Amino acid sequence: MVVKKVEETTKSWTTRVEAKKERVDSVKGLVDGVIIPTDRIVEVLERLIKTGDRVVLEGNNQKQASFLSQSLVQIDPKKVHDLHMIMSSISRPEHLDVFEYGIARKIDFSYAGPQSLRISQMIEDGKIELGDLHTYIELYGRLFIDLIPNVALVAADKADSSGNLYTGPNTEETPTLVEAAAFRDGIVIAQVNEIVDELPRVDIPSSWVDFIVVADQPYELEPLFTRDPRHITDIQILQAMMIIRGIYEKHGVKSLNHGIGFNTAAVELLLPTYGESLGLKGKICTNWVLNPHPTLIPAIEAGWVESVYAFGGELGMEKYVEARRDIFFTGKDGSMRSNRTLAQLAGQYAVDLFIGSTLQMDGLGNSSTVTRGRVAGYGGAPNMGHNPGGRRHSTDAWFDLKTSDDPLARGQKLVVQVAETFQEANKPVFVESLDAISVKDQAKLAVAPVMIYGEDVTHIVTEEGIAYLYKSDSMAERREMIASVAGITPIGMEHNPKTTERLREKGMIALPEDLGIRRSDAKRSLLAAKNIDELVQWSGGLYTPPAKFRSW
Amino acid sequence: MRSAFLFPGQGSQYEGMLHNLPDEPVVKEVLEESSEILNTQIDSLHSKKALSTTKAVQQCLLIASVATYRIFEKNGLIPNYVAGHSVGAFGAATASGVITFEEALKLVTLRGELMEKTCGEGYGMAVVLGLDEYQLSEIVNKHFLDSEPVYVSNRNAPTQVTLSGSLTGLQKIVDYVKDHGATSAQLLNVSTPSHCPLFDHVSEELLKELNRLDLKRPKIPISSNITSRLLMQADAVKEDLAKSICNPVRWHDAVNLLYESGTQIFIEMPPGDVLSKLAQQAFSEVRTMPISKYSIEDCFYVMSNS
Repeated sequence: MVVKKVEETTKSWTTRVEAKKERVDSVKGLVDGVIIPTDRIVEVLERLIKTGDRVVLEGNNQKQASFLSQSLVQIDPKKVHDLHMIMSSISRPEHLDVFEYGIARKIDFSYAGPQSLRISQMIEDGKIELGDLHTYIELYGRLFIDLIPNVALVAADKADSSGNLYTGPNTEETPTLVEAAAFRDGIVIAQVNEIVDELPRVDIPSSWVDFIVVADQPYELEPLFTRDPRHITDIQILQAMMIIRGIYEKHGVKSLNHGIGFNTAAVELLLPTYGESLGLKGKICTNWVLNPHPTLIPAIEAGWVESVYAFGGELGMEKYVEARRDIFFTGKDGSMRSNRTLAQLAGQYAVDLFIGSTLQMDGLGNSSTVTRGRVAGYGGAPNMGHNPGGRRHSTDAWFDLKTSDDPLARGQKLVVQVAETFQEANKPVFVESLDAISVKDQAKLAVAPVMIYGEDVTHIVTEEGIAYLYKSDSMAERREMIASVAGITPIGMEHNPKTTERLREKGMIALPEDLGIRRSDAKRSLLAAKNIDELVQWSGGLYTPPAKFRSW
Repeated sequence: MRSAFLFPGQGSQYEGMLHNLPDEPVVKEVLEESSEILNTQIDSLHSKKALSTTKAVQQCLLIASVATYRIFEKNGLIPNYVAGHSVGAFGAATASGVITFEEALKLVTLRGELMEKTCGEGYGMAVVLGLDEYQLSEIVNKHFLDSEPVYVSNRNAPTQVTLSGSLTGLQKIVDYVKDHGATSAQLLNVSTPSHCPLFDHVSEELLKELNRLDLKRPKIPISSNITSRLLMQADAVKEDLAKSICNPVRWHDAVNLLYESGTQIFIEMPPGDVLSKLAQQAFSEVRTMPISKYSIEDCFYVMSNS
């Protein structure tokens, strides 16, 4: 049988690149090579972006393409409308203004904490069509499958006149967003703070970039990971001591990611003091996937830390990082390189442990940080806060969580949730039912926005003690373990002192005294630095905190 | 940087308050206009005796806030948003150009009269700190009695919520919550159970009056009491003005919406600074400027340079 090639001459396999050429040609009179004049940006966007396009706009929780978002909101909705926005973080008012003004219609995103009320109202009022809520990695993944962008709007520090970009310490997710558009004949537009003759280094080559525009102001950058040690409480120090003894030392945790809570900041500040007194240096907490937390400075200076790979930069830490090249990932120019996608993957697959705080947890250990009436999304915690089924390599800590002698048994990622049993204003953290369920109904979500599922949680730490959930497969027993450390919350009131005693004897839960910790020893005097000024001193003056954190 | 003007509601009034407004010709004009519309002397509105009536309180709050707003308006300093708490919503609607000052003054006069008439003795409000609206609603629903009704009313802050209803019912809830998680709970010195279904009738009468007016489209978006949405249409403002009295004021959400919309400066019309304090507690990095504490010149400077 002969198979005929049908209408070979009419089928084009280059429609995408031809469409791109048409768009690029349409702005020839407005641009100077790859450079868009700052004051023509709105006009250029109106030609380069077409109605119905998928537009990925760089807005992660630190770096924002703020000039481009402010420009996008000025385009004429009669010319361009029904855009499908893809954003890892909805952080700025204009990110939602584009929907109010009829420029955009649909959104797929990861995190919307700073706009969580507005987006919740807009979903409820039908003003925005919600694609879905994602973790960072999921959203980045979909950029290459079914959310391939037509246009990428990103931010860089500097460009040269050919369009090579320097993104420096805050490289974050820019290369991922650019890659998804550039290699699929999409259009890449980068706002830059300045154009220079010679870049410190090239983070993104010019062949991936179509246009650059000098922003009227430097891109917005938030110092989200700075925690002032002044606000760390004795209870958080007690929790930190339990974490060090009852988890890090017990399992030999060497590689890890910390959340941004004050309790994990306390852990960082206890390593050179309490950790040192236990002789743990070199045995725990050596390799980190972590933004350059200022509270990690004392541990680095005291020789605890071998390496830190970062999702993004942190304002004020630039000089310190450059001066500690042995620790951080830096370019030939000396400044740090971050990459949110790779750091998320490292945090998912390559570390022993993830630890984070939660605001609400049910009796089975499912936890959530949502508030009713708000849609905040996920960010990256669920990527790191689960046991990845695809992991095949073994480390001491991972292997230590093996609970069976089955010849096919494997270890487990340590996923730790830390919580005080009550939030402010007498709100119990341990509850019968998560607020996430009412958020699901209100925002018409397909699934309740659970941050970390109970099945993934291996340890829970409260001021009462630690529950070693990984030791039991029985849901009933896990519930008893959680109740035993849940204080006088509704879940905690279920606990039976006899059961608690039994669980202690079996090593399923541990109270501070079981770990050799005296509650009265948990004092702020244990902190290696008690305020921002002392962090600056530890850094030898290299850390320059943003103004809002200066207290002197 | 975006700005919002806040118009206070009941509770901020004090004796002689209309004498403490900024000394500007446009303020005097508003005071004179008020005197003519109401056919009374200004002094008879803000005396201690007069302020014991809901009507005079609402009149004074509207006059003080709108008179002050006029100074900004005359100088071309228009905020990006406005919002008013309860009766303050009438000041916000006036600033936004939806209703005239005369219409607003007549409406709040009617509102005050109807509120005084609708419930007799034995009704009022209470405030509870330390429990959120969901916790409080659960308690109130569990204890609800038709004979002594109590409703959860204004959400001023996440854990500062008011109750409205019968005094005996309120006292029982106040006593209960003190032992069940509240950090504080007390009856307020008001004789009307505002913002609950007991005032459905007031709402209906107000709506009839509003339906007679030719309402204009808002020139400045208004963050609403009932739905905490930005109102851009006259009909939506009408509904909010009429129905607010029988529905909870979602003040925290109304201000949160302004904050998420980019508001960094909140200027509070007189009297008082209650709304500034709530905004500052909720959003530490915003700038709040109650006119009662700052000079008009300071506010001009900040608005002109933002």
